[in-house]
Amino acid sequence: MHTQQPGSLPDYRVDPYRLLEDDLKDVYDDIREELRRNTMEPELRTIATYYFDGQGKALRPMVAILMARAINYHMYKEKSGLLASQRQVAMIAEMIHSASLIHDDVVDQADFRRGKPSVNVLWNHKKVAMAGDFILAVASMMISRLQDDDVTITLSQVVTDLVQGEFMQLGSKETENERFAHYLTKTYRKTASLIANSIKATAMLAGADETLAEVAFQYGRNVGLAFQLVDDLLDFVDLKLGLATAPVLFACERYPELNPMIMRRFQEPGDVERAFELVHKSHGLEQTQFLARKHCIEAVRQASSLTDSPYQKGLQVVTDLVINRMK
Amino acid sequence: MSSVCLNIYNKILLRNVSYISCTVRKQSGYVLSVTLTKKYAGIDITQSNPREFCTGRNRYSAAGKLAQNQKPDWNKAVSEAEKIVGYPTSFLSLRWLLSDEIANVALHLRKLVGSNHPLLKTAKSLLYNGRNNMQAWGLIVLLISKAAGHLNVEDMEEDKAAGVLHSQRALAEVTEMIRTSHLVHKGMVNIYPGLYPEPAILNDMTFGNKIALLSGDYLLANSCTELAGLRNQDLVELMSSAIRDLAEGEFVGRRDQQNNPLPSPDGVSDAAEDWTLRNVLSAGSLLGKSCQGTLKLAGHGTELQEQGYKFGKHLALAWQACLDLEPFIAGSQYVSGSVFNLTSAPVLFHLEHDPNLFSEIDKGAESVQNVDYDKVHSIVSKGPGISQTKQLQKKHSQKAMEVLQVFQESDARTALSNIIVAMGDL
Repeated sequence: MHTQQPGSLPDYRVDPYRLLEDDLKDVYDDIREELRRNTMEPELRTIATYYFDGQGKALRPMVAILMARAINYHMYKEKSGLLASQRQVAMIAEMIHSASLIHDDVVDQADFRRGKPSVNVLWNHKKVAMAGDFILAVASMMISRLQDDDVTITLSQVVTDLVQGEFMQLGSKETENERFAHYLTKTYRKTASLIANSIKATAMLAGADETLAEVAFQYGRNVGLAFQLVDDLLDFVDLKLGLATAPVLFACERYPELNPMIMRRFQEPGDVERAFELVHKSHGLEQTQFLARKHCIEAVRQASSLTDSPYQKGLQVVTDLVINRMK
Repeated sequence: MSSVCLNIYNKILLRNVSYISCTVRKQSGYVLSVTLTKKYAGIDITQSNPREFCTGRNRYSAAGKLAQNQKPDWNKAVSEAEKIVGYPTSFLSLRWLLSDEIANVALHLRKLVGSNHPLLKTAKSLLYNGRNNMQAWGLIVLLISKAAGHLNVEDMEEDKAAGVLHSQRALAEVTEMIRTSHLVHKGMVNIYPGLYPEPAILNDMTFGNKIALLSGDYLLANSCTELAGLRNQDLVELMSSAIRDLAEGEFVGRRDQQNNPLPSPDGVSDAAEDWTLRNVLSAGSLLGKSCQGTLKLAGHGTELQEQGYKFGKHLALAWQACLDLEPFIAGSQYVSGSVFNLTSAPVLFHLEHDPNLFSEIDKGAESVQNVDYDKVHSIVSKGPGISQTKQLQKKHSQKAMEVLQVFQESDARTALSNIIVAMGDL
């Protein structure tokens, strides 16, 4: 084995988590510290920091920092360290994500998350809701300290999208034709917007022009959509039905009898089993996979317009990581 | 929440609605009529049990009429003040009502009618709790904006007729949204295993929590967007810290299973300090920071901004003291046995003077409902708590009044002092 020079690694050997090890290693500690500093109430500290235990994948901070470094390299070549403000955005993205998870837990009455009891099992629901508000408020203070009006506007859009996505999840009264579009919009708002806009914010902080910021945004949007499609596929395989996601929606085209089941949210006895069978008989799973791949290809296309660097390579590897969860 | 919104929300909630239209006076003065028939057609919400929201804090009847002994001064002070700054909220608020999300919430609220979920109570108290009205908070922000005037601002940014900036009006709206969002989140139920053995009821309550959480989040998200649009990062930080304070306030001291506050034995060494901490977090911070923020938007220096903070904080505390007094004042329609806040100033002051009352208070450790309120009421009424609370209210009213002296004489300043005076009168 010869010593590998940076950049000489074959593309598939770039591990973005290793590449960014130094940038990422203190992200959770720093988030916890930031939250701790903002309250004197011990129980609020405990609940607010509960999910920042370092056990998560930190996908959002990782992708944000990866894009930040890829853009910095693209614009400034070697003279391009990670900006403190860009690292802040990575933390903020994870905080907004966790605040929304905490509120989801109360709503969905989940028992477990990330291998431990979820917040709603351990604490008073009102306090849990308040802890979510608290995290969002602290994140919002961090955003303001970046002192960039447009970055603040971009990141506040994420919060609006998340709530609107939740509202979309409440209703399923749309017609069959609208349903797929509804699903994709909901997926964008609930998952992709956070990734796309936080990535865009790191590009803006680097001083990227609109075209370059749009490349970052589109990369994030496509990765986010692919990520959620794969998630829905995996959930389907685990028989966690209830909401109409891509596999079922695709299967509907061939087996219209799924429509009434979607409308009643698979609540009648036998619905889940029958839906499962029909989706497997149709090409619902393959079509979902295909759509996820399509978004990944588009993400790679966007990334390839950036100057070649280990980070730019990393952006391509991320799409493989997303797709490989399916296997 | 704007009064326009409230009026319509009110109709949606409490009447059988088949047709709604509303009239809005736009900033430029012309009248705009908006028909909401389409969006809200078919929503049919009937009034549920009116007794359900006659708590000690609130003595307004279900039909929304003010109780008989409401002194006219307050209403007069507020309605005259509204005229001074034009309609207290902007036309933008209508956007809420026309948004799919709020239409959605209205639809879902209908499903909750008949259930016991406190979200309905919260929605109604937002509509009818005249003295604790959200609208009044935005109004205060606008009045202090006008009283202070603004520096170096382009014509375009000013609402000439009202004498405030468009950005200040937006901030006033944000203040109301933040407060409403907090109340809605506070109005959730803590569901724990065994609380609702009946699956249908458990289902309703879980659904009510979901709607409460989402509605609050919606308002919070809108606040973030509105604030971001003002392009003033110091203001974003200030208002975000007010949201943080509200959340933190819900963790102070001992709580029952529904997170209702109870006095803590160790807090009572200094009742005034304990009361102040609780209420600065849950009220003073938001109004103080909103008043500070509006002066920032007007281009005033930090010194005046700090005066703004002081004004808002003291006004909110005076206001809270006044609300705390309500079940205890002569002629109040305190309904025997009804629940009042056990961390209200009269109770805390009494405990400082006579810790024996804890023997009754402690019965509420699991649920504040288990306390004998008649007993606490009668003990506190005989003690020093009420006069001390009156002193407390007076102190904060005076401090707020002192700040007003830094502004030049104006109709807005007079309106603010009228509001303070009217409050003292209640």
